[in-house]
Amino acid sequence: MNLSAFSTAYTIAKDEWRYWLRSKIAITVLIIGLLLTLSSVIVTSINMLELNHDRHDLQNAAEQTFVEQPDRHPHRMVHYGHYAFRLPSPLATLDPGVDAYTGNSVFLEGHRQNSAMFADQRQGTALTKLGSLSPAFIVQVLVPLLLILIGYSSVSRERESQTLTFILSQGTSIFVLIAGKALALISLIGLILLPLILSGLFTIGNGENPIVVASFLLGYAFYLIIWALMIILFSTALSKNSESFTALTFVWILFCIAMPRIASTTASTTVPSAGKLETDFTVIAELRKLGDGHNANDPAFAKFKASLLAQYNVDTVEDLPINFRGAVASRSEAELTTVLNKFAEKRMDEELSQTQVSRNFGWLSPMVAIKTLSMISAGTSIETHHRFMRETEKLRFDFVQSLNKVHVEQLNYQDDINRNLNEKSSKQARVDSANWQVLNDFTFTPDSPSTRLQRSVSSYLQLLVWIIVLVGFIQLTGRRAQ
Amino acid sequence: MNYMFAQLIREWRFMLTQKYILVLLLCTLVISGFSVWSGLREINQQEQTIQRLLQADEQDRSETQAKYSDPGYLAYYSFHLTYSPPSAIAFAALGERDIYPWKHRVRMLALEGQIYESDGQNAELAQTGKIDFVFVLSALAPLLIILLFHDLYASERASGRHDLLVTTAKSGLALWGARAGVRFITVILCLMLPFYIGTWISGSSLDSVLQVSVWSILYLLFWTLLSIWWGKNASSAPRVASGLIGFWVLFAFIIPILGDLAIQKAVHSPKGGDILLTQREAVNDAWDLPKETTMDAFTATHPKWKNHVAMESMFEWKWYYAFQQVGDQKAESLSQAYRQAAHQKYDLSGYISLISPPLLLQRQLTRVANTDALAAFAYEQQIRDFHKRLREFYYPPLFKGLNLGRSQLAIMPRYKPEAHKTKNTSTTPQLH
Amino acid sequence: MIKIQKINSVIEASSLCVDINTPPILKTLNFQVKKGEVYALLGGNGAGKSTTLKTFLGFNIPTSGNAKIDDQEVTEALDTTREKCAYLPESATLYPHLTARENIEYFLSLANIRKSQDDINQAFQKVALQQDAWDRHMQTYSKGMRQKTAIALALLREAPIFLLDEPTSGLDPVAIDEFNHLVRELALSGATILMVTHDVYGACQVADRIGLLRNGELVGEFDAPENGRIDTEEVHRAFAQKESA
Repeated sequence: MNLSAFSTAYTIAKDEWRYWLRSKIAITVLIIGLLLTLSSVIVTSINMLELNHDRHDLQNAAEQTFVEQPDRHPHRMVHYGHYAFRLPSPLATLDPGVDAYTGNSVFLEGHRQNSAMFADQRQGTALTKLGSLSPAFIVQVLVPLLLILIGYSSVSRERESQTLTFILSQGTSIFVLIAGKALALISLIGLILLPLILSGLFTIGNGENPIVVASFLLGYAFYLIIWALMIILFSTALSKNSESFTALTFVWILFCIAMPRIASTTASTTVPSAGKLETDFTVIAELRKLGDGHNANDPAFAKFKASLLAQYNVDTVEDLPINFRGAVASRSEAELTTVLNKFAEKRMDEELSQTQVSRNFGWLSPMVAIKTLSMISAGTSIETHHRFMRETEKLRFDFVQSLNKVHVEQLNYQDDINRNLNEKSSKQARVDSANWQVLNDFTFTPDSPSTRLQRSVSSYLQLLVWIIVLVGFIQLTGRRAQ
Repeated sequence: MNYMFAQLIREWRFMLTQKYILVLLLCTLVISGFSVWSGLREINQQEQTIQRLLQADEQDRSETQAKYSDPGYLAYYSFHLTYSPPSAIAFAALGERDIYPWKHRVRMLALEGQIYESDGQNAELAQTGKIDFVFVLSALAPLLIILLFHDLYASERASGRHDLLVTTAKSGLALWGARAGVRFITVILCLMLPFYIGTWISGSSLDSVLQVSVWSILYLLFWTLLSIWWGKNASSAPRVASGLIGFWVLFAFIIPILGDLAIQKAVHSPKGGDILLTQREAVNDAWDLPKETTMDAFTATHPKWKNHVAMESMFEWKWYYAFQQVGDQKAESLSQAYRQAAHQKYDLSGYISLISPPLLLQRQLTRVANTDALAAFAYEQQIRDFHKRLREFYYPPLFKGLNLGRSQLAIMPRYKPEAHKTKNTSTTPQLH
Repeated sequence: MIKIQKINSVIEASSLCVDINTPPILKTLNFQVKKGEVYALLGGNGAGKSTTLKTFLGFNIPTSGNAKIDDQEVTEALDTTREKCAYLPESATLYPHLTARENIEYFLSLANIRKSQDDINQAFQKVALQQDAWDRHMQTYSKGMRQKTAIALALLREAPIFLLDEPTSGLDPVAIDEFNHLVRELALSGATILMVTHDVYGACQVADRIGLLRNGELVGEFDAPENGRIDTEEVHRAFAQKESA
């Protein structure tokens, strides 16, 4: 495009803006769009910052109360347990993702892998089933609609009022006209994205990686450009305003309202995933083979007992320099955790392959592509939740085993055996509360920037293919219109 | 009669010549069909899961019972499956079943420590939501109706046919009435036909089908009349549709979102974590408290066992289960407040739904299908009741120091889901 | 065969005032059209021609005065007066995705009139619509062909009164001649015809009487002499004079 063509396109874009500013509908829609994005950014930011603060405090409080427990039998502390809270990532202020749908706290205790509890949605009002006031939802679903309402007639209007022939007869190429209209729409997109961009800069201040933020925002820019291209395409291809409007609205319904849900429904029906409850049965069956770690006399530990006796070259467990009950507890915890992790991993794999099916619908709807990209970049996707579960599991295992180590090394076997005899023996079977310092500080951080960028590649690819295909179609229709 | 029929026939033939309307209707049929099909599949999977769970649960318990005979151990290791089976018509309104659990295994330990566990489904899919019939009806159907009806007048005006049509027609009803009527009947058929086939396959009760039909048709009629009325004097179809889509955004998003914000601000609920914390502290502290303190607190609510609380050892199961129960008692006020807050939120959202037709429809249909929050609350109460029965079963052997024989195991409480009543569909919020 | 009912149809505007929100407005308009007469309301842009026609079709409610058809106030007996009128809109777009025949059938059914295929064919012949176009989709039609189809529809409705809105605008000279011939024939068979136009020559060719409309008022009437036509020059002078005034 040479300079004069560019200046013509610029004039056309300016003219389009003048048309919008003079049209009551366009200006109303524009104001509504800005208000919605702005308020969603503000409300969600406040909410997520509050959540962040709350969970941070809760995490500290949980650690505090654990450490402050009095002298006790170490295994009691294993059951006393600990809490881990998932802190939202800075970008969660723009896309809270699965945060409200998974529990955000996990109770960690010996011999059990609990699921996350207290998902916010269960204390919700069921009012936000169709959509929430998150910037992600607003930009993914409502902004395309607003763009359609403003831009549906961009080319078809010129055709209907026969100014198109006039413009073309003056030697202006249809592609310059299209470029001008696109330029106007893209500047409009920039305006609507402004609150998002500012909020993105703010998250950088809160410690988010700038490249991730840039990638996040670029994804949204691509997404809205896809809609701008779609609008230009239909507006050029169809000769009447009303036809262009109807077709675009229909496409919007399909892409933004129907397709995401069709995707998730297809995913859950084609890749059925057994719930935790169901796999628990298999877990229990396997665990029963391992023996009960509370009961050192469980026949399942006979071999372990023999090997220990051989190792220390003694005849009875009483003669062992270590606490046999603690050793059994420690060993059974390790074995049990292996089994539990095996099933947890399997379940997470199933969830991931479900999610993958759903994400493949990004080839059919750009909305699904940006939704995935957005959650992955923000660190609020299912992968992040899985990592939270894995990290809390590691936290659980570490503190339980540290307590078991205390059990093995610091509690006399005889005292342990006699713990229920009387008041005095019960006091005897305790260890100093200084041992409760075993707890590691837990802070959940989002995935590393490179991991998130890597995961978002396929969604980027989907968006780019959409752009290429649309540009191709626009060229075809443009040539026909010329 | 004959005359009206002739008008309908003419407009039916006329509609068949309009390709974009046929495309719209076909899409409606396909999407509605897909939602019903996937709903049926989902319900089928849920039913099968329950069957498998029942079997596994039975086997697991009999294995436990073979291994332990001491009631203390038996109670500690025996899990009991509770579940809430989907109603026959649940395929049309999957409702809150992806958020609230509908299956749970509990044992005789403190219930507050168990009941908030969720056997959640894939969170990312739950966040997107599923495309069930209620969604198609409440969210998609209005948009399709807007597309079908917004240009009823405007397209004729824009192409200059309006005056000729009106002056030619015998009456407005014969023209606009018949034209809108035919479209309305067809769109209802396209939406509802898959649903009726679904009810036939699932064996839904006539009563529930009737209720869903009435609400659905009223709802669709509302959007149709709104679309027609809004476009009555307009000549620019896109303008009419813009306004109508504005209504849709208002009803489906803005009002619910604002309502949600208001309710979340207005209703204060204890944090779930606090319940758990209270319960855990109570249970753990009990180990260090004098046994009498625990037993006194227990017999205050269970006076029947006043004379059986003497302990011979530092650890006895009856004391263990007594402090579990005391833990629940300590957390009870918090737990009550938590449930009450949830209930209150549900009730308040009932008021909001009165000014948002899509919400109202969702609320009504999930009520009929028994898949709403109320159903989830009721299920939670059933778990609590069952837990109580379980405790009452174990207390006599525990406190009297008896072993559980075969005959007693045979009468161990079993969880039976309560059949739900479709009758109760009142929307009028009741505060508790 | 097309028959025109022999009833004494009269179109009458007496002190007719119409003030809808948008201009033009009609101020105290008076004229009558007798049975079998062709009356042309002649005026420039914005004179109130279409407003007058729409008032007789019942789309505008008179602020004061009367718009009567067959001694019935239009707004009071909308259905009966509309049934008596065949209206020919200025740009008669029928449904472009239907054929001319399908369009005619659709509109006749709307009016609850039954006609055989023969009747429809005869009407097509009468308006001189080329035969190969009868069953073609109307999106391929020229403006003249669309107009002819609409006239065929008006004929088939067998209404005693015809209200024509700029019937010849956009037609080629041959088509205009054919059309004018048809209008005269209709009048002879007893139809009452009110047409609005800005075409002085056409009006003089076909009208028994011409009313010159300006700013919502009748500023002059011209009668055709016995067995003759109105003098074009005279009307044109009056028209141009008033226009420039």
